[in-house]
Amino acid sequence: MFRIKKSSDMLPAIKRGKPVNLTVDGKSIEAYQGETVAAAMLAAGIHTFHKSHKHKQPRSLYCGMGICYECLVTINGVHAQRACITMVEDGMQIETCKELEL
Amino acid sequence: MIETYELAVIGAGPGGMEATISAAGFGVRTALIDQYPQPGGQYFMQIPPSFKVDYETKTEREGRELVNQVLRVPSLKVFNCLVWGLFHEDNGGWLVALYGENAPKYIRAKNLILSTGSYDSPVAFPGWTLPGVVTSGGSLTLLKNQRVAPGKRALISGTGPLLFSVAAHLIEAGVEVVAVCEANHILPRGIKHAFTMLRQWDRLTEGAKYMKTILGAKTPYKIGWSIVEARGKEAVEQAVISKLDKTGKPIPGKEKVYDVDLVVSGFSLTPNTGLARMIDCEMTYHPEKGGWIPVRDFEFQSSIPGVYIVGDGAGVGGAENARLEGKIAGATVAKLTGHLPLNREKVIREEIQPDLYQQQSFGDLLSDLFTPSAGLVSLLKDDTIICRCEEITLGEIKEAIRNGARSIGEVKMLTRTGMGNCQGRMCEHTVAAIVAYELADEGMTREKVGYYSVRPPLHPLPQSFLADAVPEED
Repeated sequence: MFRIKKSSDMLPAIKRGKPVNLTVDGKSIEAYQGETVAAAMLAAGIHTFHKSHKHKQPRSLYCGMGICYECLVTINGVHAQRACITMVEDGMQIETCKELEL
Repeated sequence: MIETYELAVIGAGPGGMEATISAAGFGVRTALIDQYPQPGGQYFMQIPPSFKVDYETKTEREGRELVNQVLRVPSLKVFNCLVWGLFHEDNGGWLVALYGENAPKYIRAKNLILSTGSYDSPVAFPGWTLPGVVTSGGSLTLLKNQRVAPGKRALISGTGPLLFSVAAHLIEAGVEVVAVCEANHILPRGIKHAFTMLRQWDRLTEGAKYMKTILGAKTPYKIGWSIVEARGKEAVEQAVISKLDKTGKPIPGKEKVYDVDLVVSGFSLTPNTGLARMIDCEMTYHPEKGGWIPVRDFEFQSSIPGVYIVGDGAGVGGAENARLEGKIAGATVAKLTGHLPLNREKVIREEIQPDLYQQQSFGDLLSDLFTPSAGLVSLLKDDTIICRCEEITLGEIKEAIRNGARSIGEVKMLTRTGMGNCQGRMCEHTVAAIVAYELADEGMTREKVGYYSVRPPLHPLPQSFLADAVPEED
C-alpha cells in the first residue's frame, strides 16, 4: 500500500493537494487535500479499520464506493463513518476499532 | 416549503448526466442528485479538485467534458447527498427524501429518472472478509482517483474484461501482479463474437493497451481458474487458486498458492436497484444482465408510470450504453412535460437507436462470456462468513434451509442475513445462490429464491436526523 509516485501512460503523475494534519489513533499520518480517509490510512500501512461485532475480526476497505460499510471508522468522535467516501480535512481525528458507547 | 420539480434525476454518472443535459436542455425543471461531492459517478469519477495532473487520459477528458456540460445546464444540483426514500403522493408525484449537509430535506418531483449504476458482484469465498481483499471497482478508484496502490503483490480473480483494466493499472502503478484468474471458460466460445468485437474500435484499442502492459510484465492470464481461499491472520498473506471444471466447481488437487497482500475480486457487476425495489417496480431476473433488473418499456419507463430507469442500474451495459439511455429518457420526459414536440422526440430517439443497438450487441457478448457461474458456491465452507455485517455463516444458512426456508426473505428472517449496515447488498448474490444450489434437486432456481425487499432509509442514517425528518405541511 503506497502513494504512486511514478508517472505512466494510464496513471500520469499528479501533484497532491496541501498536506493536512490527520491523526489515526493519536498518531499523525501523512495526508493531502483531495485524499479520502481510507486512501491516507492505506498509504500509511493501516489496514484494520474496524473489528466485526460478533467475532472481533479485522475488517477493511472492500467495495471502495460507500456501499459495503466495511471501512467504518470514528471521525472526530462520530461513530461509524465510511472512510472510503469521506475526504480528509485538516485537524481530523480518526479512531479505528472503536466500540459504540451506549 | 418544499420545492417542486418536473423531474428528479437520481445519480450523476454517465446516464444521469446525459438525462439531465437532455431534459434540462429542453427546459424541463430538473433536479439532479448524487451521493458524491462531484458529478461523474464511478466511471467518470473526477480527480479531486486539489490534485493537479500533468495530462489527462482519454476517459478523464471525456468525463470532464460531460461534467462541465452538466454543470452548465440550468437545473438544481444537489451533491454529497443521499436519496434515502421515495414516497408516492396522492397527486401522482413523488416526495424525494434527502440527506446531505447542504441539501433540502425534501423535494417534490413529478417524474423520476433513476440512474443508480452498478457495483462489483460480491462473491464470497473463505477469507473474503480479510483486509486486503478488495473489489475491482474499489481498486480502480484508489488507483485512478487517489493514485494509491492498495497492495504491493496482487492476485486478481473474477470474470470479465474489467480484470484486464485492474491488472494493467496495478502493473503501471508498480504493483507485482502474480496472476489474473478468469473463472469462465471463455475459449473457444469467444471466437463467434469476433465480428461484434471488431465494430468496437475504441474498446479494442483500450483492451490492446491493457494487454500490452500485462504481456510486458509477463503476468499469467489463467482461463478457468479462480481464487478459492484468502489466508492470513490480520490481513491477506496468501491466495489459493484452483482450476475449475466446466460447471465452475474447483477440481481437487489443482491448487496453487501465492504469497500476496492484495486479492482483487471482480466477478462482474450487479445493478444497483435499491430505489427501484423500494417503490415496488416490477423486477425480472436476468443473470446475464447482472441479476434482478427492473422491467422497462422501449422508452425505459419502469412498470410505474413516470419512473424511468437508465444505465447499469437497469441491467449492466456499460457507460456508453448508460449515456445513450439517459439521453432518450431525458427527451422522453421533455416530451411528456410538454417541452418537446412529439415528432422531435421521435427523431432524437431514432438518431440514437443505431448506436444503442451496437452497445446492446456488445453487452450481449459480455453477458455470454462473463456471467459468473453458479458453481462458485461450492468454494464455500460451513464456517465461511456469507453476510459480512451480521457474520452469518454458510452453516447457519444451510440450517435455515433445513428448517424450511425457501426464499431469500425467509433466510433473512431466520438468520438475520442482509439486516446489517449494507442492507444485504454484499450477501444477496451469495445467499440466493446457496439456496438455489442446496435445493437444486427440488428444482429451486435463483429466480424462485427472489430478492431482498428494500425499505426506507436506503442507507443507515443518524436517528437524530430521522427524528426531525417529518415533512412540514404546505
